[in-house]
Amino acid sequence: MREVNDLFEIERPLPPERSFSRPFWAATREKKLVIQYDRAADAWQFYPRPTSIYSGLRADLEWREVSGRGQVFSFTIVRRARPPFRDHEPYLLAMVTLDEGVNVMSNLIRCPLEEVRIGLRVKPCWQPLPDGRHLLLFEPDR
Amino acid sequence: MALHDSAIVGYAETKIVPKSEVDVWELGAEILEALLQRTGFEKAEIDGLVLSSSSTGAGNIFWSQTTADQLALELDFCQTVDIGGSSPLGAVARASAAIDAGLCETVLCLFADTAVAENNGRPRSYGAEWTTPYGYLGAPNAFGMLSSYYDGYFGLDFQALGKLAVAQRAHAVLNDNACEKLRKPITVEDYLNSRMINDPIRLLDCVMPCDGASGLIMTKRKTVEKRGFGKIAVPVGYGERTNFGAAQSVVDPTVTGHRAAGEKAFAQAGLEPADIASFHPYDDFIIAIMMQLEMLGFCAHGRGAGFIHERDFLFSGDLPLNTGGGQISAGQCGLAGGGTNLVEAVRQLFGEGGARQVKNKANALVTGIGGIPYGRNWNTSTVLILTPDA
Repeated sequence: MREVNDLFEIERPLPPERSFSRPFWAATREKKLVIQYDRAADAWQFYPRPTSIYSGLRADLEWREVSGRGQVFSFTIVRRARPPFRDHEPYLLAMVTLDEGVNVMSNLIRCPLEEVRIGLRVKPCWQPLPDGRHLLLFEPDR
Repeated sequence: MALHDSAIVGYAETKIVPKSEVDVWELGAEILEALLQRTGFEKAEIDGLVLSSSSTGAGNIFWSQTTADQLALELDFCQTVDIGGSSPLGAVARASAAIDAGLCETVLCLFADTAVAENNGRPRSYGAEWTTPYGYLGAPNAFGMLSSYYDGYFGLDFQALGKLAVAQRAHAVLNDNACEKLRKPITVEDYLNSRMINDPIRLLDCVMPCDGASGLIMTKRKTVEKRGFGKIAVPVGYGERTNFGAAQSVVDPTVTGHRAAGEKAFAQAGLEPADIASFHPYDDFIIAIMMQLEMLGFCAHGRGAGFIHERDFLFSGDLPLNTGGGQISAGQCGLAGGGTNLVEAVRQLFGEGGARQVKNKANALVTGIGGIPYGRNWNTSTVLILTPDA
């Protein structure tokens, strides 16, 4: 089996928060995934934006919890990286389409190269950050 | 009111180098001097300055003003275009619009960047929050993911992609201004065997970051006639699309803004893809060339490889491609790199291609790509059609 690195051992760069993305990060403290939903458009959006990508109106936006399950939309095997990821290659980057219909970028872990393919079903897993938040990762939903 | 009420009357470029020993403003001065000598304009006659994005200039919120000050230009119109690799084409369109609106008459379009020697860029984007924590490096990863998507839906033909890489490299060998390190011929085998960077992106799919500058002078058509410029390049069609698919949560990365931008440019020019005499697409990755062939209507979506196998992309062939080597084989001058293929197109229309001169000078199609958005393809797509008269 050709293995890729799961990157558990590295200290990842801490993501900053913006005024409009705080609910996302607050929910990760409890390993919950919340994403923005536009009631008028009846559609979801990711990454978190300061307004609705559908209408430009903020009033119809709300945060809703989702399962985080989805499938691989596209992926790449990173073989040359910058610190702190350098010397931890190869690892998998993927776009995952959540079942709600939004694309989310993350690392795919616990996934041998033989298994990775477009359409692979995945589920969320949470990597602790030093400040109590968690980083959303995905693994195969076997 | 029309784009073609102005014309490009001169072009210039520096040698492309892996790391510049001279300051970015000295490169700018080299371009200015060459353009003044070439066109016969006095410096005082230049009343407009349009700069491309520049990684070196990115730390300065007064970039166009301070560059004007360094070059001692007194101006009626002064701006930086900040749509990344699309900004040199964007500069031509904005210069043309400014001339048309009477804001100025003679414009220096200057594309200078020393991104390797001095990168002052500090992107404020989605990156730090949504991609950097995952070890995402930007363009190479983005193109890795979009390539795997393309492969999954249409299949990738690496022989076809390699054919594009080989043709561009053959042109760089003939281009004295191309980065010296890259002026060695390659074969399709070399392409296929080059090291994997981000599967399925190989080393020879990628641009090499370099430093350098290029530029143009644009002026009113009336001035062209009055001063008797014999060689000109006229913008007859232009399209620009930023954030294609902005209001969608899932965007097919093999569909790009070049479709809409291309339709607009071709309609303005009254031309079709089959009429194009030479093709100078923005090339940050080889697959981007194939995707643009599809989006601009040279062939159907997903059928680029078949088209590539049928055509001859050498300067002597039936669809000359990036006859100076493109950025991939001449070197990418940071965010000014879009100027390399643009200047080459003008050179060909002027009939000054030398050992790589194309036979058909009826027109040239140039494109731009700028910026990498979250999980799609690129932020800005530009398309410019030039003719030697209009």
